[in-house]
Amino acid sequence: MRDKIQEALKRSKADYTEIRIEEKETTRVIFRGKELEVANANIDKGGIVRCLIKDKGWGVTTFNNLDDLLNKTDQAYQCAQVGSVPEPIELASVEPVVKITAVEMKRDFRDIPLSEKKALAERYNQVLLGHSDKIIDTQAAYVDSFTHLILANSEGTYIEQDKPALVISASATARDGDNVQQAHESLANTQGFEYVLDKDELARKAAQKAVELLEARPVKAGQYPVVVDQMLAGVFIHEAFGHLSEADFVYENPKAREMMTMGRRFGKGILNAYDDGSIPNLRGTTLYDDEGTPARRNWLIRDGELVGRLHSRQTAAKMGEKASGNARAINYRFAPIVRMTNTAIDNGTTSFEDMIKDIELGIYACDAYGGQTQLENFSFSSGYGYMIRNGKIAEMVKDVILAGNLFATLENIDAIGNDFKWLNTGGGCGKGNQAPLPVGMGAPHIRIQNVVIGGE
Amino acid sequence: MDILTQLKQQAEQVEVLSLQNEKTTVEYEANQLKTCTVAETKGTAVRVIRKGRLGFAASTDDTAMDKLAANTLESATYGDNASFSFPDPKPAPIVRTYDKAVADLPIARLVEIGREMLDLILPVEPNARCNISLERSLISASIRNQKGLDVSFKTSPLSLGLEIDRIEGDDVLILYDQLGTTVWERDYLDFARRLVEKLKKASTITSIKPGKMPVLFAPTGTLALGLPLSQGLNGKQVYKGSSPMAGKIGEKLFDEKVTIIDDGTIDGKFASASYDDEGIPHRRNILIEKGVLKSFIYDLKTASQSEVESTGNAARGLFSPPEPSFTNLVIQAGETPLKNILAGIDEGILVEDLLGIGQGNIISGAFSNPLALAFKIEKGEIVGRVKDLSIAGNIYELLKNVGAVSKEAQWVYSTFYAPYILIPEMNVAGKA
Repeated sequence: MRDKIQEALKRSKADYTEIRIEEKETTRVIFRGKELEVANANIDKGGIVRCLIKDKGWGVTTFNNLDDLLNKTDQAYQCAQVGSVPEPIELASVEPVVKITAVEMKRDFRDIPLSEKKALAERYNQVLLGHSDKIIDTQAAYVDSFTHLILANSEGTYIEQDKPALVISASATARDGDNVQQAHESLANTQGFEYVLDKDELARKAAQKAVELLEARPVKAGQYPVVVDQMLAGVFIHEAFGHLSEADFVYENPKAREMMTMGRRFGKGILNAYDDGSIPNLRGTTLYDDEGTPARRNWLIRDGELVGRLHSRQTAAKMGEKASGNARAINYRFAPIVRMTNTAIDNGTTSFEDMIKDIELGIYACDAYGGQTQLENFSFSSGYGYMIRNGKIAEMVKDVILAGNLFATLENIDAIGNDFKWLNTGGGCGKGNQAPLPVGMGAPHIRIQNVVIGGE
Repeated sequence: MDILTQLKQQAEQVEVLSLQNEKTTVEYEANQLKTCTVAETKGTAVRVIRKGRLGFAASTDDTAMDKLAANTLESATYGDNASFSFPDPKPAPIVRTYDKAVADLPIARLVEIGREMLDLILPVEPNARCNISLERSLISASIRNQKGLDVSFKTSPLSLGLEIDRIEGDDVLILYDQLGTTVWERDYLDFARRLVEKLKKASTITSIKPGKMPVLFAPTGTLALGLPLSQGLNGKQVYKGSSPMAGKIGEKLFDEKVTIIDDGTIDGKFASASYDDEGIPHRRNILIEKGVLKSFIYDLKTASQSEVESTGNAARGLFSPPEPSFTNLVIQAGETPLKNILAGIDEGILVEDLLGIGQGNIISGAFSNPLALAFKIEKGEIVGRVKDLSIAGNIYELLKNVGAVSKEAQWVYSTFYAPYILIPEMNVAGKA
């Protein structure tokens, strides 16, 4: 394969050519309710060729038949001829890398029979089902995938790397009359099968949460001081801020660029945030991105000021900055675009007790159902929450949805916890048509003043 | 040996889906034509029922058919008890989903259509930043099973997606819609013109005092109501007991102005086809008629679990087994002209777009979303855009009392047909 790839790169007429070949096997076991929904393995093998003609544009071909790389490269070159960019597209320089690595797992999940994976998911499903007779639906899933990835380009880069990923997840739906509530827990790992064993507690937590939510009252809409747990804080920094740091949002847009000017105040001095794909064994870790740029720590906010952003080679060149290792694609069907890796709010100094003790009436918002942003506007659903009354955690509330303006909200973060953690959940990020991309998130507890909470 | 023939010797039932897709995409990013992509997908997905148990596997590696067969059989070893049979061949309605005019669209023409969109928008709004995706596919699929079912279909989906961003100071407006069709549509820019109209209207900004008021959902905004409803109408959610509509067939759950139909047989529409993805003929399924719950949607598996017949709603990707899924979802237009609805509103809002639709516990019917684009209606007139508001409610309550459903309706987001829907009173939250 290496010879074929290098032959195609050598013959390409484009200014820059990149070939990525991916072989992926995925095993999936999903129980839903009392039934096994899926227990199977899929094979996905394919490739992508990307050609750049600097004064025209990009041409891309994706395919499953790998025998025809020369032709596919030529077709990509033809596609690139269609473009008509007003200024030549440049790529920030990156030192070519030649590296072939193989991953070693403690217990390689590829050696575990399907029956054992099925038994594991079944056990977690039993924990969910057995928790309460109010649980009317469950989903317990085990998913592993092993990807062998080859990336080569016309500048001499040739990288082979393995990407193992394991996720277990547990969802419970509880019902009482017309009142239906859901809760979800998941755990991701890149190191081996043993890390997803003995996780009954995770399933129990999902079931318990769903049942508890039946008793919870919807939160009353209004403005509150809100203490956000690590999970929701992680999702917040990823969704509301991280996406704005992706340079493709701003590099073509003078107005957005102004909004994201380096040095602009993005919060109080206590706020620090970064993206880092180089930390071993996190969900979003990607030692070389899909353009071959090595991962590194990219500080985004330091002492409350905007200090960096995330780049592909193209956006970096356009903005006169350095490639940051954030060009990622979910698979061979897509060209890489600017994405996050592991994004975090850095640890602070306030204890959780100190954070809540002066709040007369507020909300403790936990967990994340999902979120959406439209540049500076965001909306997040927390999984559940509690009222804070007179400095103490009080009754549980549901349907806690935080909405607001990013700048105002970041400015309103007035306490950062000393309890940072990485959230090893199995979630993924969506952007463009590319979802889910494995990403990591981390944060301590944070406190935000004057948050608008939707609701009845 | 053909994988169907091979597996027939090892399992009672076999189904083979072969899929081939060639998709050409032209993408404008920030008003500039940047990328052109040709994507070819070729793969096979197999289901077997062996000793009563269901197995499934798929592959895009056509050099590994033996491994695919082995994976499918292994999957069946641990598979679930299958209580259904793959179908006998049945005649299906003729639905137009292939048009040579679409299949043969040259790349140059796609490029030109993108340019036409920009020519509509940029003269009106020079600061707009448009991302345009023009996508033309040619899909050939065949479904075969051990009973001799052998249906193949060819579709030529064309999808034109347009996102307009306008940033002024800290004000951000993002509008999106798409046209999806499988036959050439003469007025292919109509949806883009509607976005331009919204953009124009949005340049006047006004304010409204939050509180209880009438809320008029525009066709794009009705998605906030339609999405929880579609989840509740999904036979899978019903069987699992998580749909609030479970067990309520024949009951009047909504206002009599509410009629909802799933229809995969409309010529040329994006989700139309003669057959569903299990080879069952598509049909027109009336789900809610004048407020009365009539039916849910099912695929083979959920239908047999629920002891009903498949409604022809199986949909699947190559790598996932079929699931009940909507084809084209139609909220039927009503009687009242839009101008009469507007005339009856003294003070309220028109909701065009919401942020975060689909997040949260929507199966329960509850939604709570900030408004991405909404207008103030004052004494029957749309007077300007209102910002920083959000709405929340539960569709199972709200749709019990619908003020009016407009005569005018539109296809939005390719597969969703909706009118304007007036909810007489809802809570609109915001910074007072």
